[in-house]
Amino acid sequence: MANTFTVLYFASAHTYTGKSEDAVPGPMTVSKLFPYLEEKYPGFRKKVLSSCALSVNLDYVDLAEDAEKEIQNGDEVGIIPPVSSG
Amino acid sequence: MEKFSLGSENLDLRIRIAELEKELANYRSVAIANSNTNGHATHALDEEDEEEEFTAPQDQDDKAVKLDLDEFRRYGRQMIMTEVGLDGQLQLKRSKVLLIGAGGLGCPAAAYLAGAGIGTIGIVDHDLVEPSNLHRQIMHTVEKVGHPKVKSIISSLKRINPNPKYIAHHYVLTPENSIETLGRYDLVLDCTDSPQTRYMISDACVLLGKPLVSASALRSDGQLVVLNNPPGEGPCYRCVFPKPPPPESVLSCGEGGVLGPVVGAMGVLMSTEALKVLLSRADKKKRRKPAHLSPDIRPADAKETSKKEESPEQKKFYMTIYSAFSDTPFRTIRMFGKRKTCQACSSVATITKESMENGSLDYVAFCGGKGSGKYPPLTKDEVINVEEYSKLRQNKEGGLLIDVRDDVQFGMCALENSINVPITTILTLPMIPEKDGTDGENRTPVPIPSWLPRDPSTPIYFICRLGNDSRIAVQRLKKSGLVKGNVIKDIKGGLWEWSRKVDKTFPLY
Repeated sequence: MANTFTVLYFASAHTYTGKSEDAVPGPMTVSKLFPYLEEKYPGFRKKVLSSCALSVNLDYVDLAEDAEKEIQNGDEVGIIPPVSSG
Repeated sequence: MEKFSLGSENLDLRIRIAELEKELANYRSVAIANSNTNGHATHALDEEDEEEEFTAPQDQDDKAVKLDLDEFRRYGRQMIMTEVGLDGQLQLKRSKVLLIGAGGLGCPAAAYLAGAGIGTIGIVDHDLVEPSNLHRQIMHTVEKVGHPKVKSIISSLKRINPNPKYIAHHYVLTPENSIETLGRYDLVLDCTDSPQTRYMISDACVLLGKPLVSASALRSDGQLVVLNNPPGEGPCYRCVFPKPPPPESVLSCGEGGVLGPVVGAMGVLMSTEALKVLLSRADKKKRRKPAHLSPDIRPADAKETSKKEESPEQKKFYMTIYSAFSDTPFRTIRMFGKRKTCQACSSVATITKESMENGSLDYVAFCGGKGSGKYPPLTKDEVINVEEYSKLRQNKEGGLLIDVRDDVQFGMCALENSINVPITTILTLPMIPEKDGTDGENRTPVPIPSWLPRDPSTPIYFICRLGNDSRIAVQRLKKSGLVKGNVIKDIKGGLWEWSRKVDKTFPLY
């Protein structure tokens, strides 16, 4: 898939979307990802994404500091909600 | 496994070892008979009702810690590893570790730490053992149901290893008591189950300069991260997750479910990380180097590389995420250090020991106050109790009974003639805008879902497992404007109450 990147959904993100991953057309800056996903899954942002950590190719990405970082096609993005049970 | 291809010389040695063991056994049985429980090797195994001492675990401080023959034998398999050694084992014995939570994470973590020979193990938990704990909380057994978890886990741990000093903290950890409780230990393991305790424990560890091993699990997912390690350098829980999850999205294991081995795996990994942190403090300088690595016979050209090796490594921080049903179950995310704007651990931090101890930090409010206001209040007319509803059913006046649990739970057990419409479906119903706006005017009429009664005289009753989601369903259906005139009621207390008060043969889970 040359013109997409993969978004992996963990824990409650997986529950909310009912999927473990999506192929998203790229490239795209980090700041545009959550609005894109909100459009695809209404309510996702408020209920899940707002508290999630984000990774790009297994590197933690800070939503504020790395907002302009560009996600390239072929990248693997992880949506990591905090799990708090135990 | 021992190999038995030994020469006669080794045979002699084995005989000698057997003699020594016999002596040791005799010595120990006498010691137990004279049992003065000084917290070391003399715990009788069945002292179930013995109160744990609450003395500060400082008696091992500054004293030269030694291993006896029994300990050499007990810990030999790990001591012969390069990563442990005698210095490492002594370091473990000197260490004081606090586990917060004696549940699905705490049980396996504590078992391995006790087995490894940690000197002092403290456990905080205020709960009692319940039957629904037993599938994953492997230190608790059938006969401990109804007993405090701290007592149950400590009695199990003593059976694994009587050597450590075990300290029971049978109370709820609060902002006010957390500094004092955690302050007595070298390392903390967060084995708890709510966002507010996770932020609170992390803050306390930052303020006290203690490393924190934190893990969690729900359903088939787990997370593991070592925080504030080394203290002052590594990120804290707030750095990783600066915003708490919205309270309505937070599920406990009781609500969301959890697979035993998933939470077990996370607990076991916690114990490994804990041992790594403690062993990194061992004094390896005292070790004798093998001849080929000793500096005096090293070739001259190897000097430069040796210098490089000695320079301190750049510390890296990781979070491991486990997704049991995924094709690649384990992923490790590389973290960056502290967040520059962190409220707890950055240079602009605002959280202090005083604000924790005087209770001015409200973690429940920070996390959105779960438990207060999560479920909508209903009026008297919107609620019916299980006994009344049972009578209506007997008179064939049960109306339409809608069970809002998910399809998996509905498939496990359900009341006769009930239909299944999961709460997630109910939440997708349209809503009438509260104020007339332009939004509502040109809206095309929404088709009425097939499961709703067309006859306005048919009453609608909602039920779920515990009576929470059914309340949401009542309010949500009313707001949808899809039903006109029907009675809509919540069956109070749900199937749990049904089982307790109406039909004892209905399964509780």
